[in-house]
Amino acid sequence: MSFKSFALATTALLATSLVSAETLTVYTYDAFASEWGPGPKIKTNFEAQCGCELNFVALDSSVGILSRVQLEGEASEADVLLGLDLNVMEAAKQTGLLEKHSVDTSNVTTPGGWNDDNFVPFDQGYFAFIYDSEKLATAPTSLKDVVENQDLKVIYQDPRTSTPGLGLLLWMKAVYGDQAADAWAKLASHTVTVTKGWYDGYSLFLKGEADVVLSYTTSPAYHIVAEGEHKYKAAEASEGFYPQIEVAAVLENAPNKALAEQFMQFILEPGFQNVVATGNWMYPVMANVDPLPEAFTSQPQPTKVLTLDAEQVAQNRQAWINEWLEATTH
Amino acid sequence: MIFSSHLRPAWLGVAVYLVIAGAALVALLGYASPSDWGRYLADPYTWRVVRFSFTQASLSALLSILLAIPMASCLFHRRFIGRQTLLSLFAISMVVPTIVAILGIVVVYGRNSWFTSLFGVSFPLYGLGGILLAHVFFNMPLAVRVILQAYQLIPDAQWRLASQLGLSRWHVFRLIEWHYLKKNLPGLFLLIFMLCFSGFAVVLSLGGGPRSSTLEVAIYQALRFEFDLNKASYLSLLQVFICSLVALAVYKLVPAIRQDVSLYQGARLLMRSSRLAMLVDFGSLIIVLLWILPPFIAIFAPIVTPLFWQTLWQSDLWWSLWHSVRIALPSGVLALLIGLSIAALARALRWRRGGDGWAQKLEQSGNLVLMVPSLVLATGLFLMFRNIGISIKHAYWIVVWVNAVMALPFVLRAIMPTVYQQEKRFRHLYEQMNVVGLARLRMEWSQIRSAVAQGLAYAVLLSLGDLGVVALFGSKGLETLPMYLYQLIGSYRVEQGACVAVVLILLCLVLFSLINRLIGGRRVVV
Repeated sequence: MSFKSFALATTALLATSLVSAETLTVYTYDAFASEWGPGPKIKTNFEAQCGCELNFVALDSSVGILSRVQLEGEASEADVLLGLDLNVMEAAKQTGLLEKHSVDTSNVTTPGGWNDDNFVPFDQGYFAFIYDSEKLATAPTSLKDVVENQDLKVIYQDPRTSTPGLGLLLWMKAVYGDQAADAWAKLASHTVTVTKGWYDGYSLFLKGEADVVLSYTTSPAYHIVAEGEHKYKAAEASEGFYPQIEVAAVLENAPNKALAEQFMQFILEPGFQNVVATGNWMYPVMANVDPLPEAFTSQPQPTKVLTLDAEQVAQNRQAWINEWLEATTH
Repeated sequence: MIFSSHLRPAWLGVAVYLVIAGAALVALLGYASPSDWGRYLADPYTWRVVRFSFTQASLSALLSILLAIPMASCLFHRRFIGRQTLLSLFAISMVVPTIVAILGIVVVYGRNSWFTSLFGVSFPLYGLGGILLAHVFFNMPLAVRVILQAYQLIPDAQWRLASQLGLSRWHVFRLIEWHYLKKNLPGLFLLIFMLCFSGFAVVLSLGGGPRSSTLEVAIYQALRFEFDLNKASYLSLLQVFICSLVALAVYKLVPAIRQDVSLYQGARLLMRSSRLAMLVDFGSLIIVLLWILPPFIAIFAPIVTPLFWQTLWQSDLWWSLWHSVRIALPSGVLALLIGLSIAALARALRWRRGGDGWAQKLEQSGNLVLMVPSLVLATGLFLMFRNIGISIKHAYWIVVWVNAVMALPFVLRAIMPTVYQQEKRFRHLYEQMNVVGLARLRMEWSQIRSAVAQGLAYAVLLSLGDLGVVALFGSKGLETLPMYLYQLIGSYRVEQGACVAVVLILLCLVLFSLINRLIGGRRVVV
């Protein structure tokens, strides 16, 4: 082998190894990246089109993603943050670490459409109280039913430590406004307990510790599809549901920005959107997807969606948490 | 003498520890601006939380110790079928993942529980009752084991004398056992107090509402939801301050402790049993069994389901098990090395003019890490590593070190009494013969190995059970068993999570007995 061909071969080898070494690092939460979550399929689908390697770093929660990036600051190795939600968007923007995206979100099906410079939504759902229809004869049909029925044993999550808990805080605010404190006090008198995270509350409910638990409208779909269990149902909410929308963003200092942008585009494509329903137990945000399993379409669909302005939420969150604390500890 | 060359490795160990703990604090305090603290101080909710935490932690610690004393005495004096199993269970109750323990307790005491179907009334689980139930479940077994260690320090001669004099169990307890136990109690009380004062998953889940809370909830909120490092450092300092006050009070209340010279240990002679002794032994055994066993049975129940065997076929389970062991073993060894360093310095200082106080301070510095919330320690270290430019790629070693530091209080509790005893016994001999460094270790090995094994085993177990640290630094190759468990529970798979918990507990049992067999030797009483 001549020196020239050797050099060529080495360069070719180096080049291929460089190309295959191109990796996209995505911070997400653990359930998303787990083997039964949507992560592995999305990885396969995206890698097939980008010829790169997609690396998920699984953090303990959606808030965990944000605080990890806050800790790492500009030195973060992440390209994309996947799994923040509506309520931490403002906090994430304030870090000043996010890049604007160039994705066309005009076809997104989130309530009221989507218009945000930094974030692209990837799935959606609604907070709801879940009950066991074999045990609860008369199910609540509104948030007011849950709050006022003193015989109903309720478990919800702490708004200081969990996302659904914060969701309920905003839902209550959207429904009750200035009367929220009274409503919290009424709810407190028949609350079993307020747990740290979603999983503690939900597993206590599954053990039969409460009549209803705060979760998502899509939770029953999991039990139907994965376990063939039809008894769990989401309670209707005549005042309207409060949405949960999960979003993604690119970091300004992303080591691999081009790939990151490509991934952001990919989020709204079928290769991603088709996976979220039975992978993440949430609704997709695009209409051009495979038909959803019946377990999803049979769940209560919101006739009305309540939302609070993101800026208003960011400004008042602490005050509302204090209001909740005052009302429930006195 | 204290600076002599053979103590240099010990100084190094202590220095590394102090640098890690100190740097974490400094890194976080760097973000503190005390001018805002007036506002925080005025918050009435914080003080309600402090009051509640103080009550629940004191009660938990007192209750655990009160139950543990007769239990330990019974376990020391009597042999019965299942004793060894019970002792092994006691070793691992501490590392049962909180959510799993809570679900176990709920199966026993909750709305559709064994308790309800047995007695027809429901147990008032949510509130102080549930919190105490869970905290005693976690900590009383720890207390029993720590107290049993103290029993090993009682010299043969005293038992022989007691046996010859025909003393009753009650007299033996009052004249001999209590004398040795009481030295351990203040430290033990503090350990349990701090564990209960700070941890918060139990308090939130079983507390019945935000009335039951701990300072760490606020710290968690400040760090995770608000990224308010200033508030987090204020709250952590408040916690350290309160715990230090309690520590001071506890050490002030108890009389000065005099170390005994004791010879040979671990022998067991039959004491005269009386009806009273039988009654107390039997009574405490029943209470403890009723408290500890039912939740354990509920926790182990998944083992008979087909799902458990399916879970064993998951390759992710074995990967996470491997990651757990890969972190826990080195971090246990590091914790032991740091612990032995502190012990070596403390024993050199003790019984020297003016050195006694320093020895105690050194020993108590190990407790400092218990007062600082693990999340704060980990966050501080994260910031420190960022500031000096160490990338998160080295997360593995960071996790190992943080876990080692966190386990230190347990290691110290296990090895210090034995080490002091050896020092007091052989000090003059060592000085005359100029026996230093490793030579001492070699001579003492047969006497201290069981304590060393115990310390190492606890450190390894704690690291196996860790979630907070590894979750914060989480990256590829660090998905441990507890993380896998929470992943499952976090995506509706509660039953499968329970199966993983069984695997985790079995792993703890295996490692605990392996370490105690291999290092502790055959003469282990516990």
